[in-house]
Amino acid sequence: MELLRPSSAAEAAGALGNGSRALAGGTDLVPLLRDGLVHAETLVHLADAVPRGIDGTRIGAGTTLAELEVDPRTPQALRAACAQAASPQLRAMGTIGGNLLQATRCWYWRLDFPCYLHGGDRCHAKDGAHREHAIFGNAFCASAHPSDIAAALLALGASIRTTARELSLADLYRLPTEDDRDVTALAPDELILELEVPASETSVYLKAMDRRKWAFPLVGVAAARTGAEVRIALAGVAPIPWLLPTIDALDDATPLPGTAYKVEIARALVRRALAGLGASAR
Amino acid sequence: MARLIKTEKEVEGRYTEQWIVIEEDALDQWPEGPLNVVGQSVPRIDGLQRARGQAPYTADIQLPGMLHAAVLRSPHARARVEKLDLRTALAAPGVRAAIGPDDLEQLTDEPSYPGHPVAAVAADTFAQAQAALTQIELEWEVLEPLLDPDEAVRRGSTVSETDTYERGDYERGLAAADVVVEAEYRTQVVLHNSLETHQSICHWENDGLTVYISTQYIWGVRDAIAEKLELPPDKVRVVCEAMGGGFGSKNGPGDYTFIGAELARRTGRPVKCALTRREENQATGNRNATIQRLTAGARSDGTLTALGGDFVNAVGWTGWSPSTEGPMQLLYACENMRTVNHGAKLNSPPNAAFRAPGFVEGTFGLECLLDELAAKLDIDPLELRRRNYADSDRMDDRPFSSKNLAECYRRAEPHWERRDEVRARSEGPWKRGVGLASQVWYGGGGPPSYAWLRVGADGRAQVVTAMQDIGTGSRTAMAQIAAEELGLPVDRIEVSLGDSSRGPFASISAGSSTIPSMGPAVRAAAADAKRQILEIAAQRFHLEERVLDLKNGDIVSSDGGSWPLEEITGLLEDAQILGKGARGPNPTGMRVLTFGVQVAEVAVDTETGEVVVDKIVAIHDVGRVINSLGASSQVEGGIIQGIGHTLSENRILDPETGAVLTQTLDAYKLPTIADVPEIVTDLVDVPDPHLTNLGSKGLGEPPIIPTAAAIANAIRDATGADVRSLPITREEMLRALREAAERERHGAPAAV
Amino acid sequence: MNGGGYAVDAPVGRSLAQVLREDIGLTGTKLACGEGHCGACTVLVDGVPTLSCITLVHTVGEREVTTIEGLRDHPLVAAFVRADAVQCGFCTPGQIVSASALVEANPEPSKDEIRHAMAGNLCRCGTYPKIEEAISMVTETRSSSSRGALASKADVQPRPSQDA
Repeated sequence: MELLRPSSAAEAAGALGNGSRALAGGTDLVPLLRDGLVHAETLVHLADAVPRGIDGTRIGAGTTLAELEVDPRTPQALRAACAQAASPQLRAMGTIGGNLLQATRCWYWRLDFPCYLHGGDRCHAKDGAHREHAIFGNAFCASAHPSDIAAALLALGASIRTTARELSLADLYRLPTEDDRDVTALAPDELILELEVPASETSVYLKAMDRRKWAFPLVGVAAARTGAEVRIALAGVAPIPWLLPTIDALDDATPLPGTAYKVEIARALVRRALAGLGASAR
Repeated sequence: MARLIKTEKEVEGRYTEQWIVIEEDALDQWPEGPLNVVGQSVPRIDGLQRARGQAPYTADIQLPGMLHAAVLRSPHARARVEKLDLRTALAAPGVRAAIGPDDLEQLTDEPSYPGHPVAAVAADTFAQAQAALTQIELEWEVLEPLLDPDEAVRRGSTVSETDTYERGDYERGLAAADVVVEAEYRTQVVLHNSLETHQSICHWENDGLTVYISTQYIWGVRDAIAEKLELPPDKVRVVCEAMGGGFGSKNGPGDYTFIGAELARRTGRPVKCALTRREENQATGNRNATIQRLTAGARSDGTLTALGGDFVNAVGWTGWSPSTEGPMQLLYACENMRTVNHGAKLNSPPNAAFRAPGFVEGTFGLECLLDELAAKLDIDPLELRRRNYADSDRMDDRPFSSKNLAECYRRAEPHWERRDEVRARSEGPWKRGVGLASQVWYGGGGPPSYAWLRVGADGRAQVVTAMQDIGTGSRTAMAQIAAEELGLPVDRIEVSLGDSSRGPFASISAGSSTIPSMGPAVRAAAADAKRQILEIAAQRFHLEERVLDLKNGDIVSSDGGSWPLEEITGLLEDAQILGKGARGPNPTGMRVLTFGVQVAEVAVDTETGEVVVDKIVAIHDVGRVINSLGASSQVEGGIIQGIGHTLSENRILDPETGAVLTQTLDAYKLPTIADVPEIVTDLVDVPDPHLTNLGSKGLGEPPIIPTAAAIANAIRDATGADVRSLPITREEMLRALREAAERERHGAPAAV
Repeated sequence: MNGGGYAVDAPVGRSLAQVLREDIGLTGTKLACGEGHCGACTVLVDGVPTLSCITLVHTVGEREVTTIEGLRDHPLVAAFVRADAVQCGFCTPGQIVSASALVEANPEPSKDEIRHAMAGNLCRCGTYPKIEEAISMVTETRSSSSRGALASKADVQPRPSQDA
């Protein structure tokens, strides 16, 4: 294995593809490499290649969650999501760009069961132990997306600029299918450089977890309001961050036997989030 | 005089009959109350070394030429090895030896639980050893595992005979009851997760074996290795100067030590076998899950007329069936009882002792049942417990050596009386309540245990004994006991421990036994040294021995004379005074137990199922307290582990393959600092008048025992919901709330 | 490192923790999970608490690394001992490293701020109450809770009163 340290985004993008992987905070990638769940001949270290810091409504992809957590310019929901994400050390190391691309915490996937996402022919969680798994978008794979930050950004209507294009955050993610088992639309040689987070009047992030800090979300609820327009997004409920058109859309959830409780929690947290925005539940 | 007796020895609630040599305990106990050093708050004497990262944990020891072992463990709960070829692994870079089931008893070709060791390699680095494991050619026949404990009991798959205990007439007791409650309680598997994983270094030298190991029992490891490897015990040296937690899981050598010893023998080099966190959470033991089907009958005045329980322990492939029924048998004065204990043998990892095994689980069931009964009877839960107070041990009709549970209840009252005020602070979806639960456990320790004490010319003393300090502060407690007896400040005491070749036999650090077993031996050794010092002083100063004493580092006489200790010990130059001490016998015909009560205050978010523990008041009777600071740490630690057990920790298996899904510390959720409630520690610091020259019992285990039940009872008080299954996760809390709401709608189900 | 410098020859993939413990012999930094979940291996990199077990040593470059060996005489060390925030002691060096970053950034942390900053350091013995006490010994703990970053959560979600 070799490690490159490009000094520009273009140089970094040029080094990607062909079995190399981009390395930022490394909090997810390093363990995955060690476990053999991800393979790389070359690591492309991004410390000098992607922007870091906040500039108006733009956030550099190399900004750490810890930096965002304490920066008063960070939109409220994102700031709350950062503060409640992972552990202090992981927040200090992990970047917002990397956070958006983290892999699922599904234990079957992490333990390398031959599941759909590993190219296999079934979802082990559906028939197995799945209390942490999905209530939406789980027809194929029942994994839950663990990013608090992605849910907050989705509610805030964020978009991203990559080395190749600009796209809305909603378009970064897609549900895995038989033919394409990736959960993001990013090309192997494409890097997230910046996020654009439009200002909203007010926003919140609420999170239910198994202990009071340092846990992935059972359910995370982000909501943002500008004027009468309210956007709600959920973490921990689907293989990807999940936009919820209205609170009533929770009636359409498709929970597994062991995840029905998440619908109940989501309902309570969405109601509280909307109340916190000064918005009605409808 | 040494005396040979046959006696009952108790460790972790398991009794065995054995011959032991004991010496009489000639010392009177110190007078009640805090003394100069004992009972005071003393920071750990090895605290600085540990805080600075300088303590020599097994994990930190690096011997010249040391190799690293990695173990191939079965990914299957039950399988047969069809083909195993080690040759490619042997040829891998850095590999020095590889062994399989044909080479060592601890390696199997018929793995019967996930994590069962199958093969192992030793290489220059751990990474090379791990890489070589993937080179082993292996074919499995995967077989269907047995994972359901009830199914196992039905099929007769058990680790031991079903154990039935009866007293009085259970059926008649039930018939005499005005109210009967029945309920099923379940507890989950929890994992010890000591931060230092199980590990050892085996080094063959001087035609014997030296083992550096993270252990709770140096002598047990020595004897088990000597027996298995057919070595004279004194050819096995076991060293553990610092260890990173055990909680009951590190009482023996473990498969990994035998693997290391064999690889070291084959390579002629020291071999470290250190488990990864993932191996730790599969294969080093656990608190087994339980199913408890319980019945309680009482007259309308609250007198218990019958208690019954059918207890299924989901033991795993090997292990033992803990006394989950113990609290039911010991806690209350109920005359009529029947308990049945089944130890289900399953294709899951073996259990291991975990901080009051059986009693933590059994107390959850029993003390929740008592509160359900109290509700039916409309009797205050604390009052119900008082009405059934046991004045003697009803199992063997023996008196207790001491029991101050009534005093614990008295001290609990002001906290218990807060419940109206606490409930009144409920607001919106957050409901608040208060619950309590009692505790009974062993913790009296026993002989044999020995200590030596050396006093040098400089007037400093050194306690020498081959015990271990597993992180509980035993080293400091021993220093305090020696300091008290010698009249020296604690900073003039060293404690040398952790090496079987450098001190006499010492007790296991398990079963809350370190202080009650070792403390009296250390005091006896100090008293022996003191006697010698005073004998010499009497000759030197031409005074009678009986007018002399040691105080604050001086030799003092009753007529006001005072000489620095060094004035006498200095005469010795390089020689030393050597005191010898032994642990005397336990009181005959008495039951030695610890007692306590905890009061919990909780808040429950009834919309999201979140449970927040706001406060735990822990009141325990463990005899004389040696170190009030260290004791409060033990109490807090037990309660915090208890909160993990109650709310968030759960080893989860894949129901199909039996694989452990929660191997890592993101998936297996230990409490963090943010989960800690306000904890109030109140110890009834009264010496047990019948127990040893100290009157001290152990405190390691009692504080974890009542926590889960106190929390569950507080939840019931707050919400009316019966939580009968641990852990009380969001889904369990929401389920119980739904059930309670349902019951409300349809009226309460009739009492049986 | 700790005020000095080290030239290290290691293959790509080797962690900072391995280099510290095995190559340099600084074993104060402990490895308890090896995958970034427990905090025992915490060191400071340019003052930032960092999990050395999942930090590839090649990404450290010229940055300043501080381990427990560099904090031996930090007032927190004595405070941890005095408060009895040391039981088995295996997590303690990591706890002290995390705490040192907290008190450096926030000389007067509230109880909630201590809990927020220390939640990534697991202690199985349960020294947490004593850790809070030890940190309070070297700081001026404010009695009132901080709102700060968590304000938006606390404002909308009903919480037990002392937690708001």
